[in-house]
Formats: sequence, structure tokens, C-alpha cells
Amino acid sequence: MPPEKEVAIEMVNISKVYPDGVLALDKVSLTIYKGEIHGILGENGAGKTTLMRILYGNIKPTGGKIKVFGKEVSFGSSKDAIKIGIGMVHQHPSLVPVFTALENIYLGLPSNFKEQVSLKELIERTGIKVPLEERIEDVSLGIAQKVEILKVLYRGAEILILDEPTTNMTVEEVKEFFSTLRNLKKMGKTIIFISHKLKEVLDITDNITVLRRGKVSGSLPTSQATPEELAKLMVGREVFLKLEKQGSRPGEKILRVEDLWVKRNDGSWAVKGVSFEVRYGEIFGIAGVEGNGQSELIEAITGLRRAERGKVFFKGENVTNAHPLKLYTMGLAHIPEDRQKTGLILDMSVAENSILGIHRKRDFLRPMMIFNENKIKEHVERLIQQYEIVVSKINAPARSLSGGNQQKVVVGREFSKTPDLIIASQPTRGLDVGATEYIRSLLLKMRNNGKAVLLMSSDIDEVMGLSDRVAVIYEGEFMGISETSSVSEKEIGMMMGGYKMGEIGIK
Amino acid sequence: MDEAMLLSILLQTAYASTPLLLSSTGEILSERAGIVNIGLEGIMLLSGFVGVVVGQETLNPLLGILAGIGAGALVGLIHGMITAYMKGDHVISGLGINLFALGFVPYGIYAVWGVRGYFNPSDQAKVPKVFGVSPIFIASLVLVPLIYYILFKTRFGLSLRACGEDPHSADASGVRVERMQLLASVIGASFSGLAGVFMSLDWLTTITKDLPAGRGFIALAIVNFANWNPLLGLLGSYVFGFSWVAIEWLKISALKQVIPVTLLNTIPYLVTLAVTAGALGRSRPPKYAGVPYKKE
Repeated sequence: MPPEKEVAIEMVNISKVYPDGVLALDKVSLTIYKGEIHGILGENGAGKTTLMRILYGNIKPTGGKIKVFGKEVSFGSSKDAIKIGIGMVHQHPSLVPVFTALENIYLGLPSNFKEQVSLKELIERTGIKVPLEERIEDVSLGIAQKVEILKVLYRGAEILILDEPTTNMTVEEVKEFFSTLRNLKKMGKTIIFISHKLKEVLDITDNITVLRRGKVSGSLPTSQATPEELAKLMVGREVFLKLEKQGSRPGEKILRVEDLWVKRNDGSWAVKGVSFEVRYGEIFGIAGVEGNGQSELIEAITGLRRAERGKVFFKGENVTNAHPLKLYTMGLAHIPEDRQKTGLILDMSVAENSILGIHRKRDFLRPMMIFNENKIKEHVERLIQQYEIVVSKINAPARSLSGGNQQKVVVGREFSKTPDLIIASQPTRGLDVGATEYIRSLLLKMRNNGKAVLLMSSDIDEVMGLSDRVAVIYEGEFMGISETSSVSEKEIGMMMGGYKMGEIGIK
Repeated sequence: MDEAMLLSILLQTAYASTPLLLSSTGEILSERAGIVNIGLEGIMLLSGFVGVVVGQETLNPLLGILAGIGAGALVGLIHGMITAYMKGDHVISGLGINLFALGFVPYGIYAVWGVRGYFNPSDQAKVPKVFGVSPIFIASLVLVPLIYYILFKTRFGLSLRACGEDPHSADASGVRVERMQLLASVIGASFSGLAGVFMSLDWLTTITKDLPAGRGFIALAIVNFANWNPLLGLLGSYVFGFSWVAIEWLKISALKQVIPVTLLNTIPYLVTLAVTAGALGRSRPPKYAGVPYKKE
């Protein structure tokens, strides 16, 4: 370890108590050196973002000291932080959608602003290339993220705080993004990388600080870290990153899809003749890069989108283009891909959301079709307890829950329907390790109990780890269907890139 | 049609359009920053009244104009405080302005001059013509491109529009959103104030509670029709202004034998309705216009 490294940031005993008494941070201390990429790892709600927003002057700490480049600082607002060279790139880019990239970079510059390097030079030096004349609403989130980084750098930031920057990026974009970060590091910038993704943190950082429930649970150089150890520090118990799976005993067919053709909203074909079947007692996985028709396929099966051609059979009955209500009553549950748009009604309460779709059930009704509030309360409290949903009160709007807890409400509700087949689309997207593991174990339990699971996920590890059989979709067609045990991750990856199973020499 | 008549029509169109142009231009600026003010009608009325009071008392039309603008600015300040800082509902606040003006002005006319209904200022209080036309009309033609330039070609304009499009991002970029919105509300409302004194001290030279006659609402429609662009607002205002003048001509033509005059009077309003309905589909308002900006 080289001895005299310049300290960029020193946070000492930072605490934050919110007015409602919640202790978000409890005496957190960390040291970040100049020119390093420092990972802040933790589950959702561990206090990562709160800590960084304190450093950025967004939130005032209740106690503790912050030193930047050796000088003690106290920020009134983020403007003070920007002044001494701290820049933050938020999870959702703070860019005006209808403005061009260039306009966004210039927006809000102080009147006495003096540029240290011209924008042109900055782009050359960092290698961050963005279409400056394009409107932000017309570019991908990955590019928007880069625009935001340019904007922050242009303002003279020496320290960059990146809050879950890769959430909306594709695998390719992440790769490119990481090379940009390495480039910035070479320029001597200090980067703080907030994430809950173990792999990424291990890949890009030099040092890691792990937070758990508002406390530092560990701090170590990346070279000495293993995924298992980090996961343990994050959740405080051993996590089975590899789920234990017993052999499957698949039974009869429960779902059969025959030559299904589905269109996108714009009228183009999303699904071009897909056929497969799901059996009792198995998890059938659909892998693929997002946007290859898997969403439309699931929507067509669950009655949310019209199937133009082909047939869907559920428990032997033809349910092609059947109403979702019919499918639910027949024993199908669906964890939709987008919990905020399709899974929940965000402005309705947690209690109301917990009975969506099953609210017609006699159990929840009194005579005259009036809701039985007590029964609903029992139901939602059972879900909260069983699924460890963190919620202030059952009448709080679903919007007020964290992403992981929102997902747990959806998952809990769907499982409470006691279905025979559960269709899970991206069930763990954006969730922390603890919640992910829990939801995966629930899916496995379903299967072990002889029920069926149709799993759609763009996370290869998830599909490979859970499924008994896996299909890979590419541009609306299945590249192949295989027993998971007889195919490698690499082969799946090739199929995701458009190679048919026959072409890569399986079977 | 002889030359004098053509000139007369042009001038009448110009005068009928000026209050619409001023008011809608101000509102475009305000809404671009995110502040919707449906109280334009009330501001015109209040400013028209205040302008006449000051102009008449001092017999100085310039002071009258400044007082009218000031009254508009004051209302804009109150509206801005309510909406930008106290996060109040934009529509309710604007409605309050209209209702207040309607109640206050008739009372004010009686309280100041002891007459009911209307008051005509004396000739010394009226705004003198410059080169034979109203100076406020000339000013309006200068102000519109100026506002366009400020909105779309300056850094200030960029910050202002950011507040109406995405205040969260504007804030994160270092724009002081509330301050900017308050400023926009004050400037925007001053424009309606100027429109008010233009009517009471310059064009119609009278003050009554019916002075704006719906022009404040038509100005709101023009904002929409113009897609929040001051240059299109110029076009829109003159289309509406001309429709008014055209009605006046129709009234003295033979047509009034066939259609009742009162029905003819509704035409500008019907034009407004038709045009707005047509414009609604294609116009794209600032995303956060009328939405109180709340920090997390």
C-alpha cells in the first residue's frame, strides 16, 4: 500500500435523524482518497443515498464532521458543494428532457462562471462523446447519464458522486461506461460509486465501504473482497448466492403456447411464432436481452395484449385472448414487469393495493358488497409480516414505499392468490440482495410444491440459477429451449446475441 | 374601399389586438417558468382602474401607465408568492384575482369619483399619441420580439424555461426555481397591467367593470394557440383582434338585418373556442406549468 495518499474526503461520525424519529445514519465514518474509485455498497434503504446527499449538501446531517481536501466544510445547499468541486449524478438524471444536451450543460451556470477547460477539450480529454444537439428525450438513459457527468465535470468537479448509475443501462452500456470511469480516474478525478450490485462494485472500485441499516458494516480494499463476504456484510447473514435446488419432478403440462404471434404498440411484430410448454413442478425460464419481445409475449399470455395468431392453452382449456380475470380465477397469477405502472396503483394505499384483483372475493366483502375493512386489514398485515414489508402504516400510499418493498407487496399479493402457475416478469429487478434472495426462494418453493413457474428475466444468473428449462428469445423468436443443466452461461449468452442453438453445436 | 378606410381598419385592428398581445406575451413568459395565471382578466381590470385613478389625480398619463404596470406587478407578486413559495393552487389563486377585481373596481369607482358604473378620465390624463398612434401599441411591438429573444436566446431564458419544464432538474443545476418563478409571475402580470391601462387611458379611455370584456381569457387561449411562443402569440392576437373589428363592420352592414347584433358579438369568442380546440391537440405546454414545485 503506498503510504502518503492524499485524502479527498473524510466523513467523521455522520449521523442523521429525520424529524419523524427515523435514524437513517448512525455515526458513519469513511475516508476516500484522491484519484480512487470508491464503492459505497448496501441494500436499498441502508443509507447510501442519504450519506451522499449529505456530502453533496442536499441534506443537513444531525451530527458529525466533513472534511474535503483537508478542510472542514459545512454546506448550506448543494451549491456550496459544487463550488468546492463536488458533483453528484443522480439515479434519474437531472436533465430537462426537452432541452438539448448542450443546453442542459449550460443550464444554471452561475453568472460569474469561468470555465477551466472548454467543453470541446473536456470531451476530448475524457472521451465522453455525446450528441450535443440532440434533445435529452430523444437519447437513451445511458447517454443522458453521460451528459450529466459532462455537465458536472464542466462545472469543475474533482469529486464525482454517482448514485446507482448503471440501473438503466444495458450490459454493453455498462462496459463502455466503466471504461469512461477508468479514464476519469486516470485524470485524477475521485469517484464515489454507489450501488447494490456486487459484481459491478467488484469490477470497478478500488476500495469499498459497505453500509447496513445506517452503519458502516465493513470497509476494505476491493482486491481483498469476495462476493460472498460483501453480501454477508450487506445483509448481515449468509446469503445463498447459489440457490440450493433439488431435482425437479415435472408433471403434466399446465401451460401450452402454440405458434404465438404478437405485435408491438407500433404495429411491428414483437413475437414471431413462439411455441413452448410449462409443466407442473418446474420453473421455465425465458432469457433474452430486453426489448426482444419477451414483454409482449408475457402480456399476450396473461391477457394484457392481443395475440394476433396462435393459441394459448391453460390447464387444457383454450384461453387465447381471454380476459385476465378469467385467467386469475383459473389459477394464474402474474408478477408484472413494471411494478409501478402495472403492478401497483401508486397513489392508493398499501392495504388497497394488497387486494387488487382479489377484491371481488367474498372474504373481503360484507353483505351489500361493502368492503370488510377488518378482513382487509388482517390480509395486509399478514402480508407485511410474512414478506417483511417495511411500511409506516397500512394506509400509506404505495408510492411512499421503497422499490423493494413495493415489489414485495406485488409478490405477496400474487402469491396470496395461491396460484397453480405464477408468471414472474423481472421479479427481482432493482431489488437488494436480501429481497432478491427471498423472492427467488419463494419461486423455488412454488416449484417444489408441484406448482409451475414461468420466469422471464434479463438477468442471466437468475434464469440459470432458478430454471429447470430455459428458452432464449431473440428478435421475437426462440433461439432454443434446453434443460438448464445441459447448457452453459456462455452458450446462453451466444443465443441472446442471436445464434440458434443448432448453430452453436448443442444437441 | 378608400385609403383612409383601410388605414382606419388597420389601426382599429392594431388597437383591438394590443391588449391581447401584451397580456398573452406576459402569460407566455409566466407559464414558461411554470406559473399559470388565469387572473389576467382581473389584472387588466385592476390596472385599468389604478391607472385612471393615478392619471386623473396627477393629470400625468405617464404616472398613470406606471401605476397600472405597478398594480399588475403587485398582483403578480402576490400570485407568485402564493404559487411559487407557498405551493398554492395556481387556478384557485388566479380565480381569486378575477373575483377580487370584479368586486373591488365597481366599489372603487364609486369610492373615488362618487359615480356608479363608469368613469371617463379627462383629456389631460389620456395618453397622447406619438406619430399619430398609441405609444403603448408601439411598445407592444418592441416588447414581443424582446421577450422572444430573452426566452430563447439568453441564458436567463434557458433557466426560466427549465423551471417550467423540469423544476427538479433546474434546481439541481443551480437555478433558484422559486425566485425565478416569482420574477416571471411579476413580469408576466405587469404585461397584463400595461394591457389594462392601455384600454382605460389610451384606447377606450374609460373605466368600468366590463372593461376587459373577456380579453384576459382570450389571451389565455392565445397562449395555447401560440404554443407558448411569443412570435406566434403576435399572429394569434392579431387574428383575434381583426375578428373583433370585422364584427364591428358586419354590424353596420346589411347583415344585421339577418343575424341579431348580440349573436354577432359572440363571434370572437366562438373563434377562440374553435381555434383553441384545434390547437389543443398539437400544442405542447411546459410540462410543469401550473404544477407547484415541491422539493423532496
